Parts: sequence; C-alpha cells; structure tokens
Amino acid sequence: MFIRAPKDFWSGLMFIGFAAVTLIAASGYSMGRGGRMGPGYFPTLLGAVLALLGLILLVRSFAIRGEAVERIQLRPLLVLTICVVLFGLMIQPLGLVIALSVTTFVVAIAGREVRFKEAALLSTGLTLVAVFIFVFALRLPLPIWPSL
Amino acid sequence: MFSDIFSNIGLGLSVAATFQNLAYCGVGVLLGTLVGVLPGIGPVTTVAMLLPISFTLEPTSALIMMAGIYYGAQYGGSTTAILINIPGEASSVVTSLDGHQMARQGRAGPALGIAALGSFFAGTVATFVIAFGAPPLAKLALQFGPAEYFALMLCGLVAAVVLARGSVIKAIAMVVLGLIFGLAGSDVNSGIRRFTFDVQGLADGIEFVALSMAIYGVAEVAVNLEKKKEDVATVGHVGNLLPSLSELKQCTPSVLRGTFLGSILGVLPGGGALLAAFAAYTLEKKVAKAPRNFGNGDIRGVAAPESANNAGAQTSFIPMLTLGIPSNPTMALMIGALMVHGITPGPRVMTDRPDLFWGVVASMWIGNLMLVVLNLPMVGVWVKLLRLPYRMMFPMIVGFCCIGAYTINTNVTDIWVMAFFTVFGYLCLKLDCEPAPLILGFILGPMMEENLRRALLISRGDPGIFLQSPISVGFLIAAAGLLLIVAAPAIRAKREEALAE
Repeated sequence: MFIRAPKDFWSGLMFIGFAAVTLIAASGYSMGRGGRMGPGYFPTLLGAVLALLGLILLVRSFAIRGEAVERIQLRPLLVLTICVVLFGLMIQPLGLVIALSVTTFVVAIAGREVRFKEAALLSTGLTLVAVFIFVFALRLPLPIWPSL
Repeated sequence: MFSDIFSNIGLGLSVAATFQNLAYCGVGVLLGTLVGVLPGIGPVTTVAMLLPISFTLEPTSALIMMAGIYYGAQYGGSTTAILINIPGEASSVVTSLDGHQMARQGRAGPALGIAALGSFFAGTVATFVIAFGAPPLAKLALQFGPAEYFALMLCGLVAAVVLARGSVIKAIAMVVLGLIFGLAGSDVNSGIRRFTFDVQGLADGIEFVALSMAIYGVAEVAVNLEKKKEDVATVGHVGNLLPSLSELKQCTPSVLRGTFLGSILGVLPGGGALLAAFAAYTLEKKVAKAPRNFGNGDIRGVAAPESANNAGAQTSFIPMLTLGIPSNPTMALMIGALMVHGITPGPRVMTDRPDLFWGVVASMWIGNLMLVVLNLPMVGVWVKLLRLPYRMMFPMIVGFCCIGAYTINTNVTDIWVMAFFTVFGYLCLKLDCEPAPLILGFILGPMMEENLRRALLISRGDPGIFLQSPISVGFLIAAAGLLLIVAAPAIRAKREEALAE
C-alpha cells in the first residue's frame, strides 16, 4: 500500500469524519456575523480547523513513514461495551442488584483467563459492597430490586 | 495582608477540622491510596472511578474528599512504582527508576519512607503557596474581560498540546475535537440545541463524568486486557520504613529543590505532577552532590520527584480554583465534580464561597498529614493488594463506572454516552491520540465560545480587541511561543526524549 503511516492515516480519517458531522450539523444553525455570533459560528470555525488538521494528517501519512496500528483485538472492547449497554438496559427496570451482578459477571469474559467460579464470587461480592456503599451509605437514588 | 491570610487559614481550619470533614478527608485519602496502589490503575482513573461517592455530599466535603482521593492515589501510585515497578501513570515513572532499584536492593522501606516524608513536606509548602498565591491571582482574574479570558484559555490549551505525548498535530486536533464535544447541548444565547441529534438526554450536553469515565476507566481496561499475560508481582522484603539520619540529611536539599520546582510547575497551565516529577529528577541528576548513583537506587532520585509531584499536584489546584482552568485531566475532573454541585470554578469562588475555598486548602495540609500517618503503618496491607491480579480488578472498575455514569443525573442516556466514548477512547488510545488535550478542550469549549462571543460583541466584530489589552497580548504571545517551540525540530527531539518513557 501507499500508506506509510497507518496510525496517522486512520486518525486523520477519524478527525475528518467528526469534522464532517460537525460542519453538516452546524450548517443548520445560524452563523450570525462577527459582532453578533450565531450558534453556528464557533462550531463551523472548529469544524473547519479539525477538517484541515485531519487532512494534513491524511496527506502526510502517504509521505512520512510512521508506526503501524497494533492489532486490534475485538473481544475485550466488544464485551466491555456490551456490558455497559447491558447495565443501561437493566438498571431501571431490574434494579442495581441484578444489573450490577450480571454486568460484572459477564464482563469477566473480556479477560484472557476466565474462571467462572471466581467471576461469580467476585460479582456477588462487588454487588453487595456497591449496594451497601451507594444505596445505604451514600443514599444515591438507585433502585435495588425490580420495580413492578 | 499577612493577617488576612492567617484569618483565612483559620477559617479554613475551622471548616476542615469539623468531625465530618475530617472523616471525609480521611476516607478520601484511604480510598485513594487503596485504589491507587492497585497495579495498572493510575490517579486519573482512580479519581474518575470514585467520583460518584461524592455526589450526595455537600460541595465543600465533596471537594475535600476528592482532593484526598487525588493525593492518596498519587501516593498509592508511587508505592506501586517502587515495590513492583509498575507505575500507574507517567508521573510515577520517574519514581520507579531509582525507587524500584532500591527495592531490589532490599531498601524498599526507606524509599517508601522518604517518598511519604518528602510528599508531606512538599504538601505543607504547597498549601502555603496556595494560601498566598491564590488570592492575588483571583483578584487579577476578576479584572479579566472576555478577551483576556479567551487568550488565557487559548494559552492553556496550547500548553496542554505541548505536553501531550506524540504528534503535535494530533494533540491539536484532539483539543479541537474536545471543544466541539463540549459545545453539544443547548446554546446559552439562542436556546438552540446543537449536536443533540434529537436525543432528549443530550439537551444539557454530553455528560463530562460519563465521558471521562469511559476514556480513563472502561477504554483503558479494554487496552490493558489486550496486553500479554500478566506477571504476578513479587514483592521483596520492605524492611524498616524510616530512612536513616544520614539518608535524611542527604535528601534534604533534594526535597527542597523538588518542592520548589514542583510548586512552580504545578501552577502553569498544562503542568502538574507529571512535568514536576520529570523536571525535578533531571535537575537532581545535574546538581546533586557526589557520590551519585542515579538509576541504581539513589535515594535522592526518589526524594526529589516525589516531593515535586506532590507539590505540583497541589499547586495545580490554583489555576483550577481561581481561574476555572484545569491544568490537567485530574483538575478537569475536579471541575466536573464541582459543577455537579452547581459551583462553577473561577475567581468568584474565593469571594462567594470562602468557606469552600479555604476549607479545601486547609484540608490539603490535614490530608497530607493523614497520608503519612496512615501509610507508614499500613504498608503491609498495600503489599498484599499489589498481588491482586488484574482480572479481579477490572470488573470493579467497569461496575463503578456504570454506577457513576447512571447516578450522576439518574439518566440512562449517560450510559449510552459512556458506551460511545468507550469505543472512541479505545480508538484514540490505539491511534496514539492522547485523551488529555481532548478532556481539557471539552471543559473549556463552552467557556471559550462564550468569551469569544462577548469579546467580539464588545468590539463589534473587530478581532483587534485581542491585541488591545497587554494581558491578552501576553497570553497570545506565550501561546504562539509555545507552539513555535514544539514546531522547532531540535527542541522537538528533546521533548520526545523527555516524554519518551
């Protein structure tokens, strides 16, 4: 390939992507004039700067040699993200005890070594501690049990 | 002026020394050390993870506790660096150079002891630096108009870029992206919702706590889990903790130099513990008296950076509390914690909430004392914690982050935000895009827009307003100078060398 600095290439692409979203969204807001800036002024400015920086990175990645991206391992990231989402889905209908114990148990799969017994013990322990600290001691507004 | 300071410190002590606040300070220090000592968990992650426990407290107690967690975590990180050579974050790297060598030679005890004593001394001095330095700075800041503020923030962001590792362009891009993320939500002036994509929960913007927990908590776990199979840490004999009299004598000048350097560097935007520790170690290598044994267990190589990073960690509260400008991600988290309680950090905090300001300052000194008193006898417990494998820790990090993100507004949208930024943070870490500039940009985004808008409103659209006040010109020149410095190839090589590890 012609890409000599993969890390720069992909980050350039990422920045351009974000810049594009910014510019498109900001085009819907009024710009105003310098003396009376509208809500679109600053975002458009930032979006343009970001696009420029992304472009520099992108172009440069063909010219200057740089580091390769380390192999991306999908499992840890995927499991962690899914667990966060799981917690979000469960916390309101099912309460802290179920949401947290399921989340911390499933999250153990993300690791290299999975020991089910240990994970079960750990998630039970963590849940007990969390209920005690956050609900009883700190009185955070968390439902403990499913609300029916 | 002196009587003023002392009456203020008196007020602070009266706030900090209530039973309740002493307890929160103690719990903060203890929890901070407890989590900070766990291998692979640095101070920023510790502070992010423990943020939710302060939500229901009263603002002063909350900040006292968070500050306690911060320097507890800092000290815990040094313990890990010395005993098993796994620095939790960059600022402890320097400590591990000589500290771990000492541990391998069976002198772990004195290394830990001098780290605690040096930190305590530095913390005491830094407390006074804050007490004397903050009021004039706040007074000056009260005179800042929007143009000066904008220039100051620009300067702060440039400094953050200079100190980020790796590519300068990427760091600038991360700042800009952070500013953009910071703008999401209802626009103050027009009431228009920007970048919310019709999601109801984003009307108040992207929740900073969820974003920082995602990046420093969950995404970091994802990256850590990819690493090769972990080694089980072996910890040698710790031995007597108190350094000998001759060691103390040898270290005294190093502690003084480290404290001095750290106190100054902590105040600078972009500074803080990391820069202070590096600078102190470098200075020590140059000026220490012979026999010098740096890199092979010279106790001064522990004393100087440990004093410096504690002094720097503490004086970095000055710009945060007086200007509302975070000099590092941890301070950004502190600002986030204050905003949860409806307090916007800035020059007005000192006049509007003197109890909060001086209470926190006084509690820092008390907290440092607690750190010494707690840590020396508890080293045995920390040593046991060092043997905890990572597989038992990361479920805890993820669990706490989930609870924190949800409870901050009792809003599930914040969990989705956290999930999104987990993936984003992971990509950034993989692509060598430092998250620190993004975090600072995020905090400063709305403030920068507001000040730019006001400045241009005053000048009727003429950008020349930024060149009219000497203060704003000074900041702009400093920012331009800093940018030039990083752009110059010779100095760039040096910087890479200094930040390499």
